[in-house]
Amino acid sequence: MSVLGQILEAVSIAVLSYFVLLNLAYLSFTFIAWRDLSRHQHSRGHAATEEALASPLSPPVSLLLPAYNEEAGVVESVRSLLSLRYPEHEVIVINDGSTDGTLQRLKEEFDLVPVRKVLREGIPHAPVRSAYRSSRHPALWVIDKENGGKADALNCGVEASRYPFFCAVDGDTIIEEDALLKIAKPIMDDPDLVAATGGIVRIANGCRVEAGRVVEVGFPRSRLAAYQVVEYFRAFLVGRVAWSRLNSLLIISGAFGLFRRSLVEAVGGYSTATIGEDMELVVRLHRYLRDRGEEYRIIFIPDPVCWTEAPEQIAVLGRQRRRWHQGMGETLWRHRRLIGNPRYGVLGLSTMPYFTVFEFLGPVVEVVGYLAFPLGYMMGVVSLSMLGAFLVLALLVGMLLSLSALLLEELNFRRHTRHRDILRLAGYAVLENFGYRQLTSWWRMRAFLDLALGRREWGTMTRRGLTRPHPKTE
Amino acid sequence: MGGVLVVTAMVLLGINVLLAAGLMLYRLRLARIDRRKRQTEDRLRPLALGLVEGDRPETPGLTPFEAGVFAELLTRYARRLTGVAQERLTDFFEADGHVDAQLRLLDSPRSWRRATAAAALGDMGSVRATDPLVAHLLDSDRDVRSAAARSLGQLCATSAVGALVRCMVQGTVPRIVAGDALLAMGPAAAPELRLLLAHDQPQIRERAAELLGSLGRPSDTAALLESLRDTSAEVRAKAARALGRLGDERASAALRETLADRVPFVRVASCHSLGAMKDQAAVPSLLTLAQTDSFDAAKAAAQALASIDPETVLQVAATEGASPHLHEKADVIAMESRS
Repeated sequence: MSVLGQILEAVSIAVLSYFVLLNLAYLSFTFIAWRDLSRHQHSRGHAATEEALASPLSPPVSLLLPAYNEEAGVVESVRSLLSLRYPEHEVIVINDGSTDGTLQRLKEEFDLVPVRKVLREGIPHAPVRSAYRSSRHPALWVIDKENGGKADALNCGVEASRYPFFCAVDGDTIIEEDALLKIAKPIMDDPDLVAATGGIVRIANGCRVEAGRVVEVGFPRSRLAAYQVVEYFRAFLVGRVAWSRLNSLLIISGAFGLFRRSLVEAVGGYSTATIGEDMELVVRLHRYLRDRGEEYRIIFIPDPVCWTEAPEQIAVLGRQRRRWHQGMGETLWRHRRLIGNPRYGVLGLSTMPYFTVFEFLGPVVEVVGYLAFPLGYMMGVVSLSMLGAFLVLALLVGMLLSLSALLLEELNFRRHTRHRDILRLAGYAVLENFGYRQLTSWWRMRAFLDLALGRREWGTMTRRGLTRPHPKTE
Repeated sequence: MGGVLVVTAMVLLGINVLLAAGLMLYRLRLARIDRRKRQTEDRLRPLALGLVEGDRPETPGLTPFEAGVFAELLTRYARRLTGVAQERLTDFFEADGHVDAQLRLLDSPRSWRRATAAAALGDMGSVRATDPLVAHLLDSDRDVRSAAARSLGQLCATSAVGALVRCMVQGTVPRIVAGDALLAMGPAAAPELRLLLAHDQPQIRERAAELLGSLGRPSDTAALLESLRDTSAEVRAKAARALGRLGDERASAALRETLADRVPFVRVASCHSLGAMKDQAAVPSLLTLAQTDSFDAAKAAAQALASIDPETVLQVAATEGASPHLHEKADVIAMESRS
């Protein structure tokens, strides 16, 4: 066998082993998630969430909504935040130097009046131009600042917040009315232990939204959005539930996460030097707390629901995925000291290595596999039956994982009311393996180029707003 | 190798097909059950409301499924009711054997069944459940302990105060659940909580002070005043907040002294309380704090001033050298007066 042949054989075996390990990990996560969600499902009837609404012991929360050119959906988002069922909360919108009519829309809708608001000076951020309070909603503040990016806007919000806990929310999201109660419940239960909590993000495309509420869960008319529904089920109901169980949750979505303000201030706030500021903050909190030997929990709750608008255009989705992957790479690099470090327990020995090898380097291995197997076949290193069986196996395991995530959703939440939506989602769980999955790998591969070139761009996120009755088909 | 892959692929294919079919069958079955349950609830709702109103409606010929739906419906109502209406439902649950059924489920080997039963017993309002629920405060499962504590609060089972306090001290029940249960007991919880103000763990003293404040009994003022001199700043802060909640004027002087505490968050707590009590005598000290103190204390002082004496805030904010916190409050006061 030639040297190239030997290399291809070695690569094929390595890719195969990687594939087996990765899928074993996914199956373990599915098992952990299944157990955890079953328990969660049973406890919903006696979780005393309703009682927390009337309890004087519930901690007040500041909701932070950074907005950059969000004129299409910001009013709906603010309305939904103001009407949340929670004993005491304030809403702080941080207009991050929007160039569209975001601020004007807010002024008109909520009767904003200028107030000389004072902010703390612990975490640096871009200068504040002015602050406003709503004369109709005393709990609503709007801070108008110069553009500095989402992390910078959140830092400004942290410095403006009044309460000991803050909840970061994206400008294009809708939070369900009891979601804050649910996401804050672990903090009410163990206030000295819980550092942060995150909730599930669901896709709102195709849903009917009225007055800042999702009143009917529908099916996206865009195929691209439908793929993302399945993808989000897998990411949230399997991955995050399992990592949370192991107290190694690395990602609390920037769209909906609750944090102890004093801790975030202690670690210096959100990093403006990375575009994955949500993941970076959580890893930094883990690191900070473990360095000090403190007992703590960072928890994912699967049923407080935050609805977001998924991209329906390929270019926009591609940019989003590149950005997410780049953010992950930057975070892993910045905290590389944790990888394989026994001092950090499960986080150092399992979570960080997993994210590095399987999540971050995954697309590289996948693309190498796509190239190595056909080449190996051409060189006679891999037989056709072996190649075919492997591809079929990969497809079937992918389907199994997606269908399992769908089953977890059905067993525990059943948010889609129409049978045909579930059938279609099951169909998309199969179809995503033919093209969509490869496309996301390609986008994630391109993030390596961005990392190498040091590009840090958010790009333009085209949104149509969540109030439109039905999104256009792509 | 190829053979193994083919067999594995076949097995996976089979699992996928089973999973997809199972998913749809499960969904169809659940949809049928949900529909049947909804229809049954709609049919039985007038009967349930009649029972709440004081009728003793005939419920002949209910199938086990219908009886279950009826009990579930009444349990939901019972959770939101108090007084005579709740007693009527409790009598129904007792007479129809639902309480006994739930008491039996408390011994189930499955923890979620025990937790569900513990929660249902609280909703049903049967005092007979008190002792078994107290016993389940020692259950091996946290959800069961939590549900038992919540139900004891609903039952206002004052005999359980000691056990609930122990759960709170040991952290075996979520803090808010134990706290809310003790608050539901009202004055009966106060003696045990006052004892906890002398506990050797500051976190426990903190919680006790917080709960005494939430109980709202002026007779606890003296005990909380002692806690204003606690060695732990967290306890002093909670005591200051609690005194503000009680609103007893006897605490005003001590709270004004606490404005000089060396720890900022204790000063913050005192500002809040003096503001809530609208203590005019605190205005000079609050003005000093609003002008000179660190961020949080100055902000809290300005807020308290705005509650006590908004005119003074407007006047001082208009002078040269006024602190930005007073400017902020003055703007808010002006805005509120316009609207």
